[in-house]
Amino acid sequence: MSEVAVRVSGVSKRYPMRPQRGRFHSLKGALLRGELWAREQAKDGFLALSGVDLEIARGETVAVIGPNASGKSTLLKLVAGILHPTSGTVEVAGRVTALIELGAGFHPEISGRENVVINGMMHGLSRAEVQRRLPWIVDFADVGPFIDQPIKTFSSGMYVRLGFAVAVAAEPDVLVVDEVLAVGDQAFTHKCLDRIAALQRRGTAILLVSHDLALVEQLAHRTLYLREGRPVMSGHTPAVVSRYRSDVASQEAGEAASEVRVGGKRWGNNAVVLTSVELLDGQGRAVGSVRTGEAAALRLAYHVREPQEDFVFGIAIHREDGSHVFGTNTDLDGFRPQRLDQDGEVRIEFPSLQLAPGRYLVDAAVHAVGGLAYDYACEVCTFLVTAPVGWPGCYAPAHRWRFSGPAFEAPPSEP
Amino acid sequence: MGVAAGAGALSTAGVGIQQLLVTLHRQRGLILVLVERELKARYRGTVLGYLWSLLNPILLLAVYSLVFTLVIPARVPTHVPYPLFLFAGLLPWLFASGAMLDASVVLLDNGPLLKKVMCPPEVFPAVTVISHLVHHLLALPVLFVGIGVAVLAGRATFPLTVLLAPLALLPWVVAVSGLVLLIAALAVHFRDLKDLLHNLLSLLFFLTPIIYTPELVPAGMLRRLVLANPVTPMIQVYRDVLLLGRIPPLAVWGWASLVALVCWGLGTAIFMRLRETLVETV
Repeated sequence: MSEVAVRVSGVSKRYPMRPQRGRFHSLKGALLRGELWAREQAKDGFLALSGVDLEIARGETVAVIGPNASGKSTLLKLVAGILHPTSGTVEVAGRVTALIELGAGFHPEISGRENVVINGMMHGLSRAEVQRRLPWIVDFADVGPFIDQPIKTFSSGMYVRLGFAVAVAAEPDVLVVDEVLAVGDQAFTHKCLDRIAALQRRGTAILLVSHDLALVEQLAHRTLYLREGRPVMSGHTPAVVSRYRSDVASQEAGEAASEVRVGGKRWGNNAVVLTSVELLDGQGRAVGSVRTGEAAALRLAYHVREPQEDFVFGIAIHREDGSHVFGTNTDLDGFRPQRLDQDGEVRIEFPSLQLAPGRYLVDAAVHAVGGLAYDYACEVCTFLVTAPVGWPGCYAPAHRWRFSGPAFEAPPSEP
Repeated sequence: MGVAAGAGALSTAGVGIQQLLVTLHRQRGLILVLVERELKARYRGTVLGYLWSLLNPILLLAVYSLVFTLVIPARVPTHVPYPLFLFAGLLPWLFASGAMLDASVVLLDNGPLLKKVMCPPEVFPAVTVISHLVHHLLALPVLFVGIGVAVLAGRATFPLTVLLAPLALLPWVVAVSGLVLLIAALAVHFRDLKDLLHNLLSLLFFLTPIIYTPELVPAGMLRRLVLANPVTPMIQVYRDVLLLGRIPPLAVWGWASLVALVCWGLGTAIFMRLRETLVETV
C-alpha cells in the first residue's frame, strides 16, 4: 500500500433490522440463553451497501454521489473505521480524520481551548502536537478571545469553524468529508476549500460525500455514483456527474432510470441516439489521428426517435488518465434549440486543433438542457495527435520565438 | 467470531481482553484529558469549584454523625465511633455505585463522539472509572481527619494498616472496571438496565454490611445471605484496612480478589463481544 491510501474491496454492509426492543429479546434471554454469543442472523436486515470496490491513491480526491439512502455515508463511515463491513475488506494506510459533523463532541461547559485539545487528540494527535498547532487553529477558526470561553457561549458559526479547524489541523493521511464544506459564510467556505486544496497537494487522500455537484466537479478527480447501495458508475468526474444529473432529471420526468448500455459507459433514454462520433481532418475525411495545430472537426451523427424541442449537443475531450482537456456544448455557446425531428449531424470545427501530441478520448452527448440524457456516450471515440517532437501537457498553442540579437541560427526549415 | 463452544468463547475472550488493554494503553493520553474534562466540567460555574470534592464527603459525614449519634443512636460491636464505621463502608460503595450508574449512560451520552469522530468506545468506561476513583481518593483525607479526631478524643486508635490501603482498594478498582464495562455495553442494548440498576443497587446496599456488621443480623437465612453476598468480603477488606487497623484473614482477602477477577473477566468479555455493535446501536 505505498501509493494506495484507501482500498475498499467487495464491501457490503448490512444493518440489522431490529425489533423495537433491540437486538436481543430480553436481558434474561441474552444472558441465560446465550443469545449474546450467537452470531446474528446474516440474512436479516437492511443491505445498505453491496459489492463496492474503491481505491484512492495518495493525493487523490474521490467523490461519492447518489440520491439519499444510497449508502454514501455508510461507505464513508466504513472508510473512517467507525463502522465495520459485514463482508469484504477496508484497508486504510495512515491516519484517518472524519469530518462528519463539525464540532461533534465539543463539551459545552469547558473552554474552546480545552475542547480543541480533546478533539485534536481524538483525531489522533498527541497533546503536544495539538498545543503546537493551537495558534494556527485559533487563527484559522477566527474565534479570537472566545477561545478561552466555554463553548456554550460560541455562535454556531464559531462552533463549526473551530470544528473544521481542529479536524484539518491534524493533517491526516486520509480525510473523509461528509457534506460539511459549505459551512459558515462565503469567506470561510473559501478558506475551507483552500485548506482542502493544500491537503490535496500534501498528498492527503480525500473521500468526499456531497450533494453539491458543482463542488464535486471542482474538487474530485474521480467520482463514484451509488444508488440503493450499489455502484452505478465510477470514473472521471464530469461523466459520472452528467450521468447522475441525467438520472435525476429522468426521475423527475417520471421515467424509469435511463437504460444503460456498453459496460456503464453509455446511457440515456434513446429519444435521440448518436449513431457515430468521428474525428475529421481539414478536408472532412474521417481519420484516427491529426497533426498538432491542423484543422480538425468532431462529427456527431444522430438518429431521432422522438422529436425534441429541448436538446443540447455536447462534447468533452480528456486524456486517458482522466484529466479533463476541453468540453463545451451548444447551450454553453449560446445556441437555442428549435426542433429536432429528423436524422442529421452536428459538427464542431477547430480551425487549429492546438493539442499536445498524445492519445485523447471523446465523450459525446445529446441531452435536455436540464440534464436528462437522450444519449450520453463516454469514450465513444479516441484519436491521436501527432507532432514531430513530443512534449508533456495537453495544450499546444501556436507560437513563435523572437530574439533581441542574433544569438541563434534559424532552424533549417521553418514551416 | 460467533463461537458457540465454551473453550472457543474463552479463547476469544482472552484475545478480547488483550485487545482492550492495548487500546486503552494507546489511548491513555486521551483518557487522561477526558478525565480532566469530566472533573473540570463537573464544577465549572460553581463558586467553590474543586472544594466540593472535599466538602461533599465532609457534609455527608456530618449528616451521618448527627443522625446516628443524636437521632437514632446506633451501636456496632467495634471500638470506633459509628459514624466513622459507616463512612468507611460508604466510601467504596459510593465509588462503585456511582461509577456503575454513570456507566449505564456513558456510551449513550457520548454517542456523537462514537458516531461522528472515531473514538474507541472503551475509552469512556475507563474515563468513568478513573474519574470516580479520583473523587474517591479526594474523599479519603476526610476519613483520615475523622479518624484523627476520634484518636484525639480517645475513641479510636490510629490504624497502621492504612499502609496497605492500595491493596485494599485494588479489588474494588478491578471489580468496578469490569462491572462498568459490562453495564456500559449492556445498557446500549437494554435501555431498561439504567432503572433496573438503581433498584438493584439499593437492594444490594442493604444486603451488604455497610450500615451494620454481619454479627448484628439474626443468625439464619438472612445472615447467610449477607455473608454470601460477594460485596461483603470487599467491604470487609476495605474497612479492616482503612479503619479498624486489622489485617483481614487471607480467606476473606482471597474471596474478595476472586470476586474482583470474575467481575473483570465477565465485563471485558461481554464488552468486547458487543463492541462492534455498540456504535450502530447507540
